[in-house]
Amino acid sequence: MHNVIQATILGLLTGGVYALMASGLTLVFGIMRVINVAQGALVILAAFLSYTLFGRFHLDPFLSILVVTPAIFVLGMAVQVVFIRSLRGAEGSELSLLITWALALGIEGVLSAIYTTTYHATLPSYADTSWDVLGYRLSMVRVLAFAASAAILLLLSVLLTKSRLGRSIRATVQNPTSARLLGVNSDRVSAIGFGIGASTAAAAGAVYGVLYPFNPGSHYDLISRLLSIVVLGGLGSVGGAVVAAMIMGVVQSIVAVEISPIWSAFSFFVVLLAVLLVRPQGLFGVRERIV
Amino acid sequence: MKLARIALAIGLVAALSTAAASSAAKRSQAASTLKIGVSLSLSGDFSDSGKAAKRGYELWRDVINAHGGLLGKKVQLTILDDTSSPTQAATNYQNLITHNKVNFVFGPFSTLLTAPSATVAARYGYAFIEPAGGGPKVFALKLHNVFFAQPAPVLNSADIFAHYILSLPNAKRPKTAAYPSLDDPFASPIVDRVRQLLEAGGINTVYHDIYPAENVDMTPIVAKIQSAKPDAVIGGTQSNDAYAQIKAMIQLKFNPKFLFYTNGPNNPAEFPSKVGLANVKGIFSTGSWFPQQHSPGNKTFVKAFTKKYGGTAAQIDPTSAEAYACGQILQAVVTKLHSISNAKIIAALHKGSWPSVQGRLRWNSIGEPQGQDLLLEWVGTKLYPVYPPKIALHKPTTPKPPWSS
Repeated sequence: MHNVIQATILGLLTGGVYALMASGLTLVFGIMRVINVAQGALVILAAFLSYTLFGRFHLDPFLSILVVTPAIFVLGMAVQVVFIRSLRGAEGSELSLLITWALALGIEGVLSAIYTTTYHATLPSYADTSWDVLGYRLSMVRVLAFAASAAILLLLSVLLTKSRLGRSIRATVQNPTSARLLGVNSDRVSAIGFGIGASTAAAAGAVYGVLYPFNPGSHYDLISRLLSIVVLGGLGSVGGAVVAAMIMGVVQSIVAVEISPIWSAFSFFVVLLAVLLVRPQGLFGVRERIV
Repeated sequence: MKLARIALAIGLVAALSTAAASSAAKRSQAASTLKIGVSLSLSGDFSDSGKAAKRGYELWRDVINAHGGLLGKKVQLTILDDTSSPTQAATNYQNLITHNKVNFVFGPFSTLLTAPSATVAARYGYAFIEPAGGGPKVFALKLHNVFFAQPAPVLNSADIFAHYILSLPNAKRPKTAAYPSLDDPFASPIVDRVRQLLEAGGINTVYHDIYPAENVDMTPIVAKIQSAKPDAVIGGTQSNDAYAQIKAMIQLKFNPKFLFYTNGPNNPAEFPSKVGLANVKGIFSTGSWFPQQHSPGNKTFVKAFTKKYGGTAAQIDPTSAEAYACGQILQAVVTKLHSISNAKIIAALHKGSWPSVQGRLRWNSIGEPQGQDLLLEWVGTKLYPVYPPKIALHKPTTPKPPWSS
């Protein structure tokens, strides 16, 4: 039982970080029906930026979120304006897949040229600190990573529910045509939405570098996990992505401990398939009716 | 008009003379050089290691040419990029042999690319001295022209740790061991061999499992191992999973008495920055070469390498030493035979042992080296070979000291 509880704690803490990455991915899909397969590459780009800021300027990786996030926000907006805005019509979604995939490969190529393909790790002085709470070990960086992710997700939630921009974004997610008819500037919302999506990847990336060793090719594993989370949570649902990420973290962690690590990743897909059989739209997704 | 014809005739004669002279010069140059062809991964997944091998090959070329060349002829290297693709590597060797008409070939990086490349070389009767294709896939081909330039096949690379553990008096040996391993042909079979040796020696297995490559979070696995309370953890790893396991152990305050990983800790340039220099103490790994090793030509290699490429001896990628060793072996056999016949070279290399920075190497009929790797350990903040005793530069320190934090 001790192992299961320890695994659950670890799974929840890990799930928090994945929730942050996946929230941006699902938000972008909700706003503009674009599956940003560069989300994983943006996470790794942010991990390298944070690694460099820590190595060169001794900027704490958690504080580096304040620098890395705005930078990647601008990059995200630029990508949307230059490459994605012009894609219209039925083929827009498919073409955006190709464009964001090209972006992912481009980011990987540039990072490989600068940092080589060897693994890197951001190691602040407190990287090895952990606490004993009722016989269970809590790693400081994991708790900090979870707290930072939760704080940013809370900010995102406030932005989406309380601000005028947030209302525009949600209106666009629910019904883009009606939103445009009601005066929402969809180009502006899409650009900012893509920037926000990229920003969540940036914030999570700064944290990711402290938790795991990474190299420019680490985005392949990441994007496959993120897409699975988004599908389980329901495409376009930020809350769904958060819940799905937690489920993924806990299920994989418990299976690794109680059954075998070899079934760990597979177990999540079993959960995913089981949910999709019952709810094809995912846990919190909305079923679209084609009239 | 007549003048114009004369001028044209003079021009033609001059052009033909120049071409003839140039051709003669080329023939003379060809006669005074020995061409060696290599396919290397200068781009793609294996590009870091491919570039390290390139440095080793080019350094050997520079050193031998500075000493008058091979049999008095300058050595010329032709290196083609295979983009980390096995198909391209095989095509490159085909071209090197049939189009570039090289005298010899050396191997590419990794087993994946060596297997098809060695097959092409065998088809044309070329000796295939190679630095990095030590996996079962290469030896399963049962080729007579392959010579893996490391002390032991990859599958046997961790046997040395089992030999060391079993050499300890009973009171100092671990009683129990855990074997987490990456699901990889270069990880789990190596650890399975160690497990069989240690189980036969009376050491109980309390955990034995494999994990997939996409498993980035090692903490749940380490937590499970911790609950089994093993004296020794023996991991079949590449590099990032070893780093992640160690980070998880530190955070979970789990400090086994013996900690061994097949890969990761054996990279002195990378390992300390991934787990923290203060946490490296007492961790074992294995390797085929070490900068301070007393092996043939090693001092020259290290000195020339740091002079040409900068950095310190500890920063030399072992792949560079492995590639350099290929050159040394060819040099030794060609000098001894005084011949550049590949058939004679293949026959000669199957007899006796041959000097290299990797030690004196000898092979069986299918190119498997018949020696053993070194057991490495981080003593203080430095990596040393600690076993076997005749090669060791430091005594092993056990049990493992606690983590710094």
